[in-house]
Amino acid sequence: MMAAETKLPPVLEIIRGNIVKHGNPLAMKGSEVAAWANALKLPEHGDLLFYTGGEYQLLPFIDSLVSTMTHMDQGSKVFSLMMGARNIINKTGINAEKIYASVLAKDRERFNSISYKAAIILQKLGYDLCYAGKKELYSGALLSELGFCEDMESYALKVAEVLKQSRAKTIVCLSPHAAEVFKFVYPKLVKDFPFEIRTFVDLVWEKRHRLPAIKTDKTVVVHDSCRLARELEITEELRDILQSVGVPVREAMSNRQWTTCCGGPNKLLFPDVSHTVATRRVEELEETGADLILTSCPYCLSALQGGQGKDTKTVIEDLIEFLFRGFEA
Amino acid sequence: MADLQKEFNDYTKNLNKASKDENIKKAITRAVKSYRETTAETLDRFPHTPEMAEEVRGIKSNSIAHNSELLKQAMDSVERNKGKAFYAKDKQEALEMTAKIIGTGKTIVKGKSMLGEELSLREYLEEKGNEVWETDLGEFILQLNHEKPMHILSPSIHVPREKVAELFTKFFNKEVPPDIAQEVAVVRDFLREKYFTADVGISGANVVAADTGAMVIIENEGNVRLSTGAPPVHIVLVGIEKIVPTFQEAMKVTEVTWRYAQYGVPGYVNIISGPSKTGDIEKVTTYGAHGPKEFYVIFVDNGRSDMAKEEKFSEALHCLRCGGCMYECPVFQVTAGHFGHVYMSGIGAVWTAFVAGGLEKAAPLVFTCLRCGRCVERCPMKINVPSMIQKLRERVVCG
Ligand code: SF4
Repeated sequence: MMAAETKLPPVLEIIRGNIVKHGNPLAMKGSEVAAWANALKLPEHGDLLFYTGGEYQLLPFIDSLVSTMTHMDQGSKVFSLMMGARNIINKTGINAEKIYASVLAKDRERFNSISYKAAIILQKLGYDLCYAGKKELYSGALLSELGFCEDMESYALKVAEVLKQSRAKTIVCLSPHAAEVFKFVYPKLVKDFPFEIRTFVDLVWEKRHRLPAIKTDKTVVVHDSCRLARELEITEELRDILQSVGVPVREAMSNRQWTTCCGGPNKLLFPDVSHTVATRRVEELEETGADLILTSCPYCLSALQGGQGKDTKTVIEDLIEFLFRGFEA
Repeated sequence: MADLQKEFNDYTKNLNKASKDENIKKAITRAVKSYRETTAETLDRFPHTPEMAEEVRGIKSNSIAHNSELLKQAMDSVERNKGKAFYAKDKQEALEMTAKIIGTGKTIVKGKSMLGEELSLREYLEEKGNEVWETDLGEFILQLNHEKPMHILSPSIHVPREKVAELFTKFFNKEVPPDIAQEVAVVRDFLREKYFTADVGISGANVVAADTGAMVIIENEGNVRLSTGAPPVHIVLVGIEKIVPTFQEAMKVTEVTWRYAQYGVPGYVNIISGPSKTGDIEKVTTYGAHGPKEFYVIFVDNGRSDMAKEEKFSEALHCLRCGGCMYECPVFQVTAGHFGHVYMSGIGAVWTAFVAGGLEKAAPLVFTCLRCGRCVERCPMKINVPSMIQKLRERVVCG
């Protein structure tokens, strides 16, 4: 591993180290990540495990990390390779507290509430959820995507252990990235991984007829997440759901399996390019004349928001936030 | 070690700059739109294409699995046709073989070839004291501008007509207005003279049929016809992955290639199997009638057979270089060929790792890829680039 540690851009090393040591990419405490569920008192055991992976909750912090990293290398806006990641971290003092402090309370609240809203929606539709609370670990999707194969092998075992403690048969994932890695990667790494993997969208779709109608004067366009559309092949479900709550949908020119990536995946290493890609996707979506962009992936949500112009009137929301409105009314 | 850091940094700087370049944005947006429209239209007009693409996938995977036999057969066929066939195991060998055939002080006209880029062929031959002319209009523009291609099929995709006019005015030493027809005309006049005075013509090939030794070259401009027909010597440099068993199969690969390469129906498909010959006087076969008297084929490996041996990567050799994936790549759409090192975009990262620079050159590309997978939707060969990218990341990280 020595070679890798010196060869890789520091931001990757930070993410890797945090996942392996702290169970999430930003070294946040489990109790913080699970704080959204305090009032719900979800049981630890059950048939259906509600899995957040901390992904929505951590979003504003990841953005803050990216801007800190970008800021750190501001002169050249490039990251220094091979400089010994730990040195840089020590020198600049990037740590969870510093990043935590720079996140706005309103962002923290919004993203925390997404997991809460998702749980409420599923409960209202009649699903009985259990949740691992502060023991829940991030899926490790980034370890797998970034190529940390050795770390992923041992990390997956730890995660699987926690999942098994729930005694669940089915896991419902909020993030398509978690669903993908559980569905396609875990069975190869963990000998006994007996779970049925579903997504939030999938479960809602099955009981979509129970969703309350949503009254809105906004026109809606769907941004398909790459993972959801291509790997998990979930596209029509989103349209069906919106149809059953009585909301007409516009289609971007690139939609369903032809969807355009939000640029999120290379945000950590190439924030500038990622931003340009996101801006272009937002433009494609706005070309439809819609004023509300809906997506169903935490990284798409965050990347697209980052790609929005300052004086844009379009709103970007997660499907979870949008559907929750029906229950509030 | 320090060099790698510099490379990554230079790459990133370049990429960032490209992503803010209005010329690239304008040019690629236009190109993407036209690619999608033309392709949709021609697939509509020739609806058998997707099925044929699937057949071609079978042909390619069978050909890669039997590559060494096919190579031998193709070389024998070329020799039987009175050409000369060579196998170059790496870049250096390929360059030396070519230089040995050509010598020094010659004039060379060259068709567009990604393999040529991979080998830095023009630069090498120039160093050996030859005059080399790129005859593809896009490549010609880049040659004058000392730039590398920004797309495998439309190399100068990022250069607008105003810039071309500026370049030509300087080079031809006369006022060339920013009018595309006039720009094309000055190059036509200039190169016409070169074709008929050149000593050697060089081309690549899109497909090779092992049974007949036929080289198939798709083009629109007609520059390949002239480069391979007018000079007394024709040298083909072609990657060993381009060989398929039979002529009939080669035709299928050709049709699928051009259809996804936005050619609709290409202006020309050249099929060249040997030197020019005649038996018209007393049935005595004489070589070099109207076309080249000498015909050489250099089959280049340069990492391809290593790639073929790797289960996770051999599929990348099915690539037809149609360029379709690049138009669909969200990163390529904003950076053009800056997301590349000789070979471009996701598939290019894989090729870079094996044949054009190795894992070090590929590393920045491998981490630039979004792994979004839209390229796979477009790819007629359904090459799973995102999964290869993930495997390459593992190699960078875990060694
Ligand atoms: S990877 Fe596929 S789409 Fe891209 S150039 Fe090759 S054959 Fe064409």
